[in-house]
Amino acid sequence: MDKFLYVAMTGARENMKAQQVHSNNLANVNTTGFKADLEQARSMRVIGEGLESRVYSMGERPGTNTESGTLFQTDRSLDVAIDGEGWIAVLDQEGQEAYTRSGSLQVLSTGELVTSNGNPVMGANGAPIVLPPSSKVNVANDGTITVFAIGDPATEPAVIDRIKLVTLEKGSFFKGLNGMMVKDDGLIADQNIDVRLRSGYLETSNVNAINELTSIISLSKQFEMQIKMMKTAEEISSSGSSILRMS
Amino acid sequence: MHGALHVARTGLSAQDTNLKVISNNLANVSTVGFKKDRAVFEDLLYQIRRQPGAASSEESQLPSGLQVGNGVRTVGTQKMFTEGDLQVTEQAFDVAINGRGFFQILKPDGQTAYTRNGEFGIDAEGRMVTSEGFPLQPEIVLPDNVTSVTIGNDGTVSAIVAEDANPVNLGVIEIADFTNPQGLMAIGQNLFLETASSGAPVIGVPGLDSNGILQQGMLEGSNVNAVEELVEMITTQRAYEINSKVISTADQMLSFVTQQI
Repeated sequence: MDKFLYVAMTGARENMKAQQVHSNNLANVNTTGFKADLEQARSMRVIGEGLESRVYSMGERPGTNTESGTLFQTDRSLDVAIDGEGWIAVLDQEGQEAYTRSGSLQVLSTGELVTSNGNPVMGANGAPIVLPPSSKVNVANDGTITVFAIGDPATEPAVIDRIKLVTLEKGSFFKGLNGMMVKDDGLIADQNIDVRLRSGYLETSNVNAINELTSIISLSKQFEMQIKMMKTAEEISSSGSSILRMS
Repeated sequence: MHGALHVARTGLSAQDTNLKVISNNLANVSTVGFKKDRAVFEDLLYQIRRQPGAASSEESQLPSGLQVGNGVRTVGTQKMFTEGDLQVTEQAFDVAINGRGFFQILKPDGQTAYTRNGEFGIDAEGRMVTSEGFPLQPEIVLPDNVTSVTIGNDGTVSAIVAEDANPVNLGVIEIADFTNPQGLMAIGQNLFLETASSGAPVIGVPGLDSNGILQQGMLEGSNVNAVEELVEMITTQRAYEINSKVISTADQMLSFVTQQI
């Protein structure tokens, strides 16, 4: 049987994996601060003895679309969205610094400022931000946090810390396994004082549902073509064996 | 089978949860002291199918790998403790908290619950109770023959009894505040319970420190904005449809395989 059956098989298999990347984007079409994953296919020559006549396909996730989503108003002072470029520095489950744009913040009973999935938000001096018991928390445009501590007169806000905001150079970071960005070299990004926040807003997912759905349809048609090729391989093989049949 | 099927399924169930939260908000659009919920989503862990930097031959490496996401997860719901509008009702036992704080309510099982719903009434023993009949803490007991009751901004309750011109002091309504009100557990009936994440209640007199003041004859309306919720409902519905479209596409792919081969 012709080996092109296997080439068609890899095409179909990689189409299915690519489908999963797009369907993951669509599943996160309403996730705050989500960044869509890109997907591409690469041709891989089979290098070895003999004639290099077979080129298999290989699916890849070369990167993440870091375009900003749309900002929407929530009127909650601890909801922050980044205006333009930039990322919020948080600590992930393993205690490593990671970067996110999902800015729905909360104050724990211990006073720790965390994101909605419980990752502590980093302050300007490289330590997680801890707030005193306070009646009102304000986040300024540059990330400075002021609070009215319980027991203090209502006219005297106290500056507590500043959220660590960073800019990441394009191509120098990737999406880690927990969905947050980490730098390629594993190092920690420096604070950038020019990044601007907006309090009372959140950023929507940047998934373009139409693009994703179109890709899914196109991939499913490609998939059907691969299956047709497998069918053709089978037909060629069976007609070959019927010609050679002794009867 | 097909990975996209399971990923789209997580999308469907997330939108389903979202719709449930939205419909609960809308159902409580005129519940006194209701605080709206918001569903919070995050992307699930990614799976490495092919490690970036793996060798593609002896001399070359793959510049990017294949990391595939597993869909979306509902992290939880957040109560939004923004204040609702104050409505004037002119009922003597309607009390609204203007600012931070919760009324303390004694549940029949002896636990203290917290509420922003200040629709109080009087039970047979003369105690101030919620509309469910749970007494306010600290207890305020009215004597017989009360002509009128006044609740001050600072929580002081005084009453004029019979023909006596001098008001009788009946006690003070104290309110409780929390470091993280979002961590409170909603148990229905407009009541919240203290949890480890909300922190211990800080009990104080209304108007002192950062506590809100009490307003007699007013109620705090629900903080649900019907327009916002309806817009959310539209995006939820469309997201649901898109995810179901992914499922049907994946299904078509699989059925094509079974038919053709």
